[in-house]
Amino acid sequence: MPGDLELRNLRLRDYFSPRQLDRSEDYERFFRIEFVVSQVALVVALALYAWRGARFARESAAGRIGTGMLLGMLGLAVGWLSQLPFRVVEVWWQRRYDILDTGYVDALVDNWLVLGAEFLSICLALLIVMGFAGLFPRNWWLPAAPVFVAIGALLAFTLPYLGDTERLEDSALRANARQLARELDVEGIPVDVEEVSDETNAPNAYAYGLGPSRRIVLWDTLLEYPDDEVLVVVAHEFAHQSRDHIWKSLGWYALFAFPGTYLIARFTRRRGGMAEPAAVPLSLLVVVMLSLAALPFENAISRHMEREADWVALDATEDPEAAQRLFRRFTRDALAQPDPPEWSSALLDSHPTIEERIAMAIAWQDRRRGP
Amino acid sequence: MEPEQPPLELQETRAAEEPGPAEPPHRHPVRLIVRDDLRRSRLTVFFRALLALPHLVWLVLWGFAAWTAAFANWLAVVISGETPTTFHGFLGAYVRYTTHVYAYLLLAANPFPGFTGKPGYPLDIELDPPARQSRWSALVRLLLAVPALVIASVLAPVTGVFGGGVLLVAAFLAWFTALVLGRVTPGLRDLMAYGLGYTAQAFAYSLLVTGRYPDSDPDAMLTRSSAPRHPVRLSFDDDLRRSRFTVLFRLPLTFPHFVWLTMWSAVAYVAAVANWLVALVLGRSARPLHRFLAAYVRYASHVSAYLFLVGNPFPGFTGRPGVYPVDVEIDGPGPQRRLVTLFRLVLAVPAFLVYGTLSAVLAVAAFFAWFAALITGRMPRGLRSLGAFAIRYGAQTTAYWVVLTDRYPHALPTTRIQTPDAAGREAAPA
Ligand SMILES: [Zn+2]
Repeated sequence: MPGDLELRNLRLRDYFSPRQLDRSEDYERFFRIEFVVSQVALVVALALYAWRGARFARESAAGRIGTGMLLGMLGLAVGWLSQLPFRVVEVWWQRRYDILDTGYVDALVDNWLVLGAEFLSICLALLIVMGFAGLFPRNWWLPAAPVFVAIGALLAFTLPYLGDTERLEDSALRANARQLARELDVEGIPVDVEEVSDETNAPNAYAYGLGPSRRIVLWDTLLEYPDDEVLVVVAHEFAHQSRDHIWKSLGWYALFAFPGTYLIARFTRRRGGMAEPAAVPLSLLVVVMLSLAALPFENAISRHMEREADWVALDATEDPEAAQRLFRRFTRDALAQPDPPEWSSALLDSHPTIEERIAMAIAWQDRRRGP
Repeated sequence: MEPEQPPLELQETRAAEEPGPAEPPHRHPVRLIVRDDLRRSRLTVFFRALLALPHLVWLVLWGFAAWTAAFANWLAVVISGETPTTFHGFLGAYVRYTTHVYAYLLLAANPFPGFTGKPGYPLDIELDPPARQSRWSALVRLLLAVPALVIASVLAPVTGVFGGGVLLVAAFLAWFTALVLGRVTPGLRDLMAYGLGYTAQAFAYSLLVTGRYPDSDPDAMLTRSSAPRHPVRLSFDDDLRRSRFTVLFRLPLTFPHFVWLTMWSAVAYVAAVANWLVALVLGRSARPLHRFLAAYVRYASHVSAYLFLVGNPFPGFTGRPGVYPVDVEIDGPGPQRRLVTLFRLVLAVPAFLVYGTLSAVLAVAAFFAWFAALITGRMPRGLRSLGAFAIRYGAQTTAYWVVLTDRYPHALPTTRIQTPDAAGREAAPA
């Protein structure tokens, strides 16, 4: 992406009907408020748990680490309970706007299964932390952080093999996608489709995997779009792969992991350090506070990579018209507000705003035409 | 080779000396009486299902009358708070007769029963005279009875739903045993007696013969039974208190243990094969393998105790003895008969069958206990004891097939243990 790129201010009314603008604004405003309130609830719940949660140690007959695991899982359970009303309200809101098709029960059951997976993850994390903390009570974070990074890399590598996706079948689309892959130097990376249309109408796509497991996945909701727009998405995801964004994300994760684990070690010292189960409830609060604090940075990094992927996709497809149509659909179909408040996009958004993305397509067009 | 029931006098003195930890404060108004001597006539055993047919037909007819009477009885109790003596007599006889018929059909007793439900059958039900009942409880009785009826249905095939797997499997095994030996084992007989006794209590409660809820504690049901000392024993030191919060999340909280148990199981299977070979050659298991597999059996029991609410605290991951309130004591390596070792897995099949059905009971009991514990913060004693029995049987089954002992798991649901002189002889497979 050129460094001297200047984006024009758009007149949004040229691109969207007033109804679309109103509707997406209403839709997203709710989520902003909901996000803030839910995070406050989460922090309050975990603060209470950090204060009194260590009492649950008496519900354990396990040893030091096992008791820590129990306290960790119960902490997640507390957090889950505190977020439950918000999940219900989210489902209600999304159903109201026809974004989501699932019922409340389905959503909660799925949610419950996710909780099970989270329970297992926190047990693994605590095994690592408390295991090292038993050996190095003060400096456990030095060996623990690389292990977390390694696990992150391992997950990034294996997730594609665990995903429930199928190869793209549409042969015309496949041929065009192969052409794009050749242009972007990522030949051989497969294009998969994930079936989500039973649950949601929102379009989405993602790139994941490392080395031989690399692939890109399109939600089947996206395939209803015209081919040239789907190809913009394909090019965008290929761009993530060709610019090694997953490796870069891992690198950033590593950069955050060391200070993050250090701060956890530092803040839990007054509870006896992470070798003690009693420190686990507090550590959860610390983790949540730290990730909230890191969120704006994370999102800034993500937005940077997304912008780059958009620009590379424009270069590869040379079809700014299709890109603009696609971005407009995100507002029309997924109700993405084109111009959210600045504080919100800076703190909470992992992608550039729709307004910005359209402006970038126009800027690309301007450059191609020449000054 | 067969242990006879120990002399009754002995059992009664023991029961008087040591009222088991699960002895109920008041005796249940619907009590199981076992006067059976374990002997079975091979001929009637062979044709048992056919011989029971007239009783089953008569039982259906009686059933119509009984449920009609039950409706009238329900009105009477809701209005007056007491069962009229006539209904009590008639419905009591129906409960008794049902027990006789199924005891006969399932080989829990030997003689052909009478058609009137008169007391005196070797496997019998004793009823207290009518007592006052809460009218509110009577009003919603069928609803309140649902958990008991579901548990009874999983135990015995009497209600006709859920198959009654435990007693069907026990009867299936008893059929072969009786044909070969001319008798059934005390374990199978008492397991069936327990299931039938619980079903009788559930019926008596549903029909408003009594206002007392069925008690699933096997020790309270089988007051006269005691089991031979087994090298694998369950001990529980549990105050029934449950933490509501961990009860709410009990299943996902057990996930890490599932993962660890799966990994441990994989290693344990290999160790079991090694132990099997060692026992074949040496006639006893190798000490390190014995220690490892004993820890595995203990750990698996801790996990299922935690999952099924039989225990309260979160278990450790090592299967260390003496830490968990629901614990398994396992004797050190002893001599094992090589022939039994050679055919160990085949011999274990009946125990696997019994355990398979008992785990269904365990799950159903835990399902209802989950609600009870969530609301009251306590585990119902009966369900805890029933669950503990299933876990003990599971531990003995595993110990048997991983060659920790050549003693067969005993199906007798009691926790009472015979004195050494009474259990001097070898216990039979049960
Ligand atoms: Zn992207």
